[in-house]
Amino acid sequence: MNKLINFIKGNLFMVIVVLAYIILTIVNPQLGLQGIKNSKYYIIEMLMIMPVIFVLTALLDTWIPKETIMKFLGKDAKIKGVILSFLFGSVSAGPIYAAFPFCVMLHKKGASIKNIIIILSSWAVIKIPMLLNEAKFLGPKFMMIRWILTIIAILIFSWIGSKIIKDEDLPQENEEEKAEIYINEKACMGCTVCTKKYPELFIMDGKKASLKKYVIYDSERLRDTVMSCPVKAIQLNNI
Amino acid sequence: MDIFTIAIWVLTVGLLIFSFIKNKRKTKDALKRAFFMGRGMALSIFAVIFAIGIILAVLPPDKISEIIGKQNLFVATIAAAVFGTITLIPAFIAFPLIGTLAGAGVGIMPSVAFLTTLTMVGVATFPLEKKEFGTKFAVTRNVLSFLFAIVIAIIMGVILK
Repeated sequence: MNKLINFIKGNLFMVIVVLAYIILTIVNPQLGLQGIKNSKYYIIEMLMIMPVIFVLTALLDTWIPKETIMKFLGKDAKIKGVILSFLFGSVSAGPIYAAFPFCVMLHKKGASIKNIIIILSSWAVIKIPMLLNEAKFLGPKFMMIRWILTIIAILIFSWIGSKIIKDEDLPQENEEEKAEIYINEKACMGCTVCTKKYPELFIMDGKKASLKKYVIYDSERLRDTVMSCPVKAIQLNNI
Repeated sequence: MDIFTIAIWVLTVGLLIFSFIKNKRKTKDALKRAFFMGRGMALSIFAVIFAIGIILAVLPPDKISEIIGKQNLFVATIAAAVFGTITLIPAFIAFPLIGTLAGAGVGIMPSVAFLTTLTMVGVATFPLEKKEFGTKFAVTRNVLSFLFAIVIAIIMGVILK
């Protein structure tokens, strides 16, 4: 029962959507059916882009060092970061939510809030295939003016956004990673065995062991380290 | 698939092969991570998609243009921006629709407001954005985008008159 409540709490939006479908179908079966039919296009759109976005994000996460991202998209990247962000957003594909995992990864590696907002916004509105379509249906003049105004607007509100939002406002840790390795701080007696066995992953934080953030770990080595902890303070899930 | 989607696929497959040659273990870990990322987002993405489906069923595009068309310019612009916010229509439907909107005498301003909020501001994607970036980020970005969409619409309405 508790599990069910937690699931509903964690997926409130999904529960609301399902309820909306049930109610709508009871009131007007035609509309409920239409809703599902409409979703088909979006599911295909999603399947075409999301798998590749996840793999690309994970690969870039693995191979591009934090320093590089910081240098090109961080707070001190200035105009270079802004131009790069616009480029990333413009050559992208897929709906705006496809940019979410990509931008989360960039932010974790040191990209600034301002550049993240630029990538998300340009991903949404100034994609090149979209601009071509716009010129075709609404005329090149319309498209050009809107494009220029949109870029100016994005520049202004990404700057405003970076003044309002602090880096700490974003979720700090990847939930999956957090769920996979967990250190029971009450049990840890600070023997430093884990930091010696796997210094890339574990670090001493005062007298207790703690996890270094965002590293890729080798599951065998990790298991070995977990076994060697004398008080079994490191716990693993789903590895 | 448009050319950009294909390009991203080609690029990613290329990177994947390159990565695999360079370091098998790291590549495996990356794939595992991609899988976890997908699993973590899958439910939310489906919720977004079915939410869009139901919104479009209740509020189909032609109904939207009918409602907007009846208002005066000011109300129409705000209404268009709001409709753009709650729907998420693919570009190939959106542009012809906006073409007819603008042609049917609704005017440039509401059309631009609709077009800009359509993709940049999202009620349906908000829960997912909130989950990934936190409430403050999601609220700030969406509110700012909405306000600037109206500013862009007004400026374009004045320029293109």
